[in-house]
Amino acid sequence: MSHNDELILTATGIRKSFGGVEVLHGVDLHLRRGEVLALLGENGAGKSTLVKILAGSYRPDAGEVAVGGVTYATLDPVLAKKAGIAMIFQEIADAPDLTVAENIALGRWPMRRGAVDWAAMRESARDSLALLGGTEIDVDARVRTLTIGQRQLIEIARNLSSDARILVLDEPTAALSSIEVDRLFEAIALLKKNGVGMIYITHRLDEVSRIGDRVEVLRDGHLTLNKPVAEVDRNAMVSAMIGREAGDVARPADAPEIRETAIEVHGLSSGQAFADVSFACREGEVLALYGKIGSGTAECAETIFGLRSVSTGSIDLFGKPSPVSDPVSAVRAGIGYVPADRKREGIFAARSAAENLAAPSWPLMAKRVVLRAIREWTAFLHWRTELKIRSTDSPGQLISTLSGGNQQKVLLARWFERRSRVLLLVEPTRGVDVGARADIYEILRSTARSDHRAVIIATSDGEEVVQVADRVLVMDRGRITSELVGDAISSSALALAVGN
Amino acid sequence: MEKPKVFTSSKLPAAPADDTKSDRSTRRGRSVPELAALGVVLVVMIGFFSFSSPYFLRTDNLLNVLTAIAVTGILAIPATMLLIAGQVDLSVGSGAAFAGVVFAVVVADHGVPVAVLAAVGVGLAAGLVNGFLVTVVGINSLITTLGTLAVLRGATRLLTDGQTAIVSDFTFLGTARPILGIPLPVIIFVALAVVSLLVMRYTVFGRSLYAIGANPVAARLVAIRTGLILLITFVLSGLAMGLGGLILTSQLSSASPNAALGLELTVVTAIVLGGASLSGGRGTITGTIVGLLIIGVMNNGLVLMNVNSFWQDVARGILLILAVSFDRLRERINARQG
Repeated sequence: MSHNDELILTATGIRKSFGGVEVLHGVDLHLRRGEVLALLGENGAGKSTLVKILAGSYRPDAGEVAVGGVTYATLDPVLAKKAGIAMIFQEIADAPDLTVAENIALGRWPMRRGAVDWAAMRESARDSLALLGGTEIDVDARVRTLTIGQRQLIEIARNLSSDARILVLDEPTAALSSIEVDRLFEAIALLKKNGVGMIYITHRLDEVSRIGDRVEVLRDGHLTLNKPVAEVDRNAMVSAMIGREAGDVARPADAPEIRETAIEVHGLSSGQAFADVSFACREGEVLALYGKIGSGTAECAETIFGLRSVSTGSIDLFGKPSPVSDPVSAVRAGIGYVPADRKREGIFAARSAAENLAAPSWPLMAKRVVLRAIREWTAFLHWRTELKIRSTDSPGQLISTLSGGNQQKVLLARWFERRSRVLLLVEPTRGVDVGARADIYEILRSTARSDHRAVIIATSDGEEVVQVADRVLVMDRGRITSELVGDAISSSALALAVGN
Repeated sequence: MEKPKVFTSSKLPAAPADDTKSDRSTRRGRSVPELAALGVVLVVMIGFFSFSSPYFLRTDNLLNVLTAIAVTGILAIPATMLLIAGQVDLSVGSGAAFAGVVFAVVVADHGVPVAVLAAVGVGLAAGLVNGFLVTVVGINSLITTLGTLAVLRGATRLLTDGQTAIVSDFTFLGTARPILGIPLPVIIFVALAVVSLLVMRYTVFGRSLYAIGANPVAARLVAIRTGLILLITFVLSGLAMGLGGLILTSQLSSASPNAALGLELTVVTAIVLGGASLSGGRGTITGTIVGLLIIGVMNNGLVLMNVNSFWQDVARGILLILAVSFDRLRERINARQG
């Protein structure tokens, strides 16, 4: 036990502001040798900012960082690495077409007489993988051919140079299957035995009790909990995460008017993305599929819209088997889809707001073959008033000049104009400011109530669910794990549901 | 389809008070001031050459300018549609030469009607192959058509053993002057330009091309049949090769395996000069026509000034680089404002 008390990292009084808004209000963090510190917090609580300061990516406004007893006034990424801090981010940044050995050696190839020493490179790759329990991985295999879990081990092996004492893992299990999670935890246990201290960022409470020694919780840039894992229970962690006031995000009052079932999904699965998903959504209802990114919520929406193939199960639309095989047939069947990545998949940046709104309705707007711009403009001006889209009076304004929230309203109006009966939205308020966010929730609820649309949102934002959904299906690792209806939906209930 | 896209979150300055005017400018490819600037360049060139050569402004010389750009223009129209959709077709020159040679070979035994059909059929087939490779197999259009460029040119030379084939009884298409002494190729070009201008502005097909070029993923998600539309446009480009090849053969009374060599360069220059963006989503038929006129006037003027014809290639190359630099510059400025 004695060596475990050695402090290898201390951060004290860390403050950081972005654009005049302070996001970290004097946070302390300590890490001991061979300790796993679970860092918990909701989105925007300041976890990422804190670890980026430790990695030298951000410079704190106040406070100091000491690694292995040495205090650093200014830490930059190179210095942080030299001090023995390694960061593993959620997204794997490997070179898929190179071999495992090359990936592990990336940037510091062993040289012999001016040439890359391949034998030494393979040898050291085997050694580093063995350290993580990854002995079965062939160091000559292309990384592309491996599983995500194996690629993550390689990522850890690459970043964990021989003298790294501190490893920061940012939600490493988000994209892993449960077998791969077990595997990762074995690697963590091995590292622990070798005295590596780890900061483990996660949303999953069950992981905290499985591998954490101590837990720190951040909320709105404050440290709200710092205790050994053995001394806290799940509820204490949840309330430290969301605080009392956060639990009171206002629920909309009205209950849905029950109408026809618009869409019904039976035992649906698509590849490895999700399995055995069944639910129904009625006209007039806002249904949320809630889960972390990679839990299968977005993939479900994509499958219904014909972007992914159905492996097993079936989809019924308005009581009949869904005719959807691609976006063209989906739109024709009355489904509208708003993707998560507005810039890459949603808007036509070089074109006007009116064109962006009208695009799926063009075939309906054309008389014989002639499509007149005036029809687009009329539609745009109508929805601009209806949805309070803030733009100039000119329908010719490029959509890229609108704010994120107003762009999103244009993308919603797209499907209103097209008279779609079922709306599928993935992360509907990502990159949307708070004011427009409330507008969008209002629009979604009122279109469900007054226009009797079925609205399905796939989201990873719990507060969003509380504010907009009539019903929520919580998903984890591709399966529906629980369902909450009406006033049972609250931030704490959702946090508990995901944690389980 | 695989063309890298530059999505700029451009925040243009707020629209000026005169909204109706700015509408028009942002709705089309190159904004009105830019097109006007191109027009000024054209007028200045015309002014310069008419001072340099008394012959330049004569009607028959101006018709020469138009005749010289007619075939290029016929190929440039579908090529403009493709570039607006973010695709490029470099095989147009070789395709036209191949169609011409096929005509010459077939006409000897089967007569003009069958030979015309054969030439058009060959163009259509070339377009289908390009379109299939780009939309179904999923190869980048630049690489695909660079490949077919080489294949078609090689096939052209193989078919005639590298010799020029003489075609005697087929002069009408290339040299007739049915209306007001205007050569038939010019009339065909103008007619096609007008039709395509209307198609690009007033049909779902035309508007879909802009959408595909602006963002192919988003286009698919709003139920645009991106693959089918691109395939059709490649076929249009192929049909233009057939027509262009026939006109060239008719004009020269022969089909040379080296006909239309390097024509793709002129076509791309004219389109980019006319304001189409290499990253797709922007461009107009009108712009391409102005670009063609600039190139046509420049070539003609240089000839009249007795400048060595090799200099024309140099001038055209410089023009292309200038046009593309301008496109990049504009995108960078937009990005900086974003």
